[in-house]
Amino acid sequence: MFLSRIKKYYYKVKSILGLSLSLAKADFKLRNEGSYLGIFWYLLNPLALFLIILFIRGAAFSSNNISFYPIYLLLGVIMNNFFSKSLSSAVGVIGDSSGLIKSIKIKYESLVISEVLGTIFSHFFEVLLLAIFMLCYKVSLIGIIYYLIIFAVFSIFLTGMSFIFAVIGAYVNDFANIWSIATQLIFFITPTFYLVKEGTWLYKVNMFNPLYYFLTAAREVAIYGKMPTLRLIAGIVVMTIFFFVAGIIIFNKFKSKFAELV
Amino acid sequence: MIKGDVERIKVENISKSFDLNFKKNEGALFRLVSLVRGTKVNKINVLKDISFKAVAGEVIGVIGLNGSGKSTLLRIVAGVYTKDSGSVETTGKMIYLSGFGPALKPKLTMRENILLIGSVMGLSQKDIRNKVAEIVSFAGLNDFLNMKVYQFSSGMVARLNFSIGIHCLKHHNPDILLLDEVFGSGADKNFEEKAIKKMEELISRGATVILVSHDLDIIGRYCQKVILLEKGRIIKIGKPEEVILKYLGGQ
Repeated sequence: MFLSRIKKYYYKVKSILGLSLSLAKADFKLRNEGSYLGIFWYLLNPLALFLIILFIRGAAFSSNNISFYPIYLLLGVIMNNFFSKSLSSAVGVIGDSSGLIKSIKIKYESLVISEVLGTIFSHFFEVLLLAIFMLCYKVSLIGIIYYLIIFAVFSIFLTGMSFIFAVIGAYVNDFANIWSIATQLIFFITPTFYLVKEGTWLYKVNMFNPLYYFLTAAREVAIYGKMPTLRLIAGIVVMTIFFFVAGIIIFNKFKSKFAELV
Repeated sequence: MIKGDVERIKVENISKSFDLNFKKNEGALFRLVSLVRGTKVNKINVLKDISFKAVAGEVIGVIGLNGSGKSTLLRIVAGVYTKDSGSVETTGKMIYLSGFGPALKPKLTMRENILLIGSVMGLSQKDIRNKVAEIVSFAGLNDFLNMKVYQFSSGMVARLNFSIGIHCLKHHNPDILLLDEVFGSGADKNFEEKAIKKMEELISRGATVILVSHDLDIIGRYCQKVILLEKGRIIKIGKPEEVILKYLGGQ
C-alpha cells in the first residue's frame, strides 16, 4: 500500500518534471526567436549592470577593501538577476498560460517549474561569464563547482517562492508592479556591490533577506574557497525547506480556482 | 450502442456561480481594503442543480445558446473548474478535448507546437515524435512542418488543432470522452467530414461521450440522449429529436 503510493507519487513528479522541461525548452526557443544576438541578450543585462557599477565605484571610491571585487560584484549581479527574474516570471505565469489552462487539463505545477527551469537555462550563460572572469583573475575554477551546489539549493528555494508568487500573481493583478519595485529595493539592500558590516542596521535588515544568505555563502565558496559559517548554512537549509513546503501547500490550496481566474 | 449498465458519470445537483465583480476587484489595494471592509459579491449562477447519469458506451449531447453553461458543465466534469455544490463521480480513464486554439504558440513552428501540446497532453517525447507525421498528414499540412503558426490561415490552425487533439490522446481507448466544440472548427468541408469520421471512430470504441456542440446534425446523429441547457438549468433531457425540437422551438 505504502509502496504503491510512493510509486504513484514518483510517476506524478516525473510527469510534472517532464512537462516542465518541455515547456521550458519551448519558452527558451520563443524568447530567442527572431534575435540575431540570441543568447548574448541573456548576458547583456547583467554585464552592463556589472560594468556600470564597476566603473562608478572605481571613479567614486579610490579605496577598495574587497578582494577580487569584480568577481564579488559579478556574482552578486547574476544571483540577484536570477532571483528577480525567476520570481517575476512566476508572477505572470498563470495569467500568461490562460489558453492552456482553460482548454487542457494540465498540471499547473509544471507551468511554474518550467519558468524556474527557463531562468536556470539562462543563468548558465551567466555562470559561463563568471568562469571567464575567474580565469582572468586567477581564481580557482573549482569554486564554480561549489557555487553550483549553492545554486541548486537556491533553485529549490526559488521554486517554493515561485509557487507562492504564482498564486499571488493570479489573484492580485497588479502584483507585478509591486514586485518590480520590491526587486529594486532588494537589489540595493542586498550587499550586491558593497560589503555590509556586522552590527549595522543594514546587516540586521539582511538577516531577514534570504538572498543575503545565498549570496554570502556563494561568495565564500566560489571566490574565497571557504566553508560558509554554520549560521549561514542553517539559515539556507531552514529557509529552503520552509519556503519549498509552504509553496507547495499554498499552491495546492489555491490552484483549483486558476481556470476561473484567467 | 449502449454497452451496459456500468455507470461512468454521475452528476448530482451541481451548481456553479461566477463573481461578476472579480476583474475589477483583483488589484492589491482593493484586496487590502476588502480585508478590512469585506467584499460585496455580485454572483451570477452559470449552473443550477444539474443532475444526470451516463453509462458505459452512452453518447450524450449538450446543446443550448451561448452562455447557457455547456462548456462550464464539461469543465466541471473534467475537473478543470471546481463546483460550488453537488457531486461529480467518474470512473475510468477520462479525456477532455476542446478546441484549444489559444494553447498553440503562434511564434513556434508547427512541429514545435505539436511537440509542446503533445507533452502537455501527457505523451512522452518519443511517442509524440512518432506521431508527428500522422498529425501533419491528417491535417493536410505536410508542406508546412517548419512554418510558424502565426503564418497559418485560421482554417489551417483549426485543422492543426483538431489533428493534434485527436492524435495525442494519452489513452487510446478512453472510458470517458468529453468533447467541447471540437466540430464546426472553421476548417473546410472536406476536412470537417474527415474529422467527423475520425470522431466517429473514437466514439464507436465504446467510450462514454459527452458532446457539446452547436451542430444539431452531429448531435442528432450520434447521441442517444440530449441535454438542453438554458441559463444554467436543464430545460429538457431526453431523446435527441424531442430535445432538438424543443431547442429549435424556443429559439
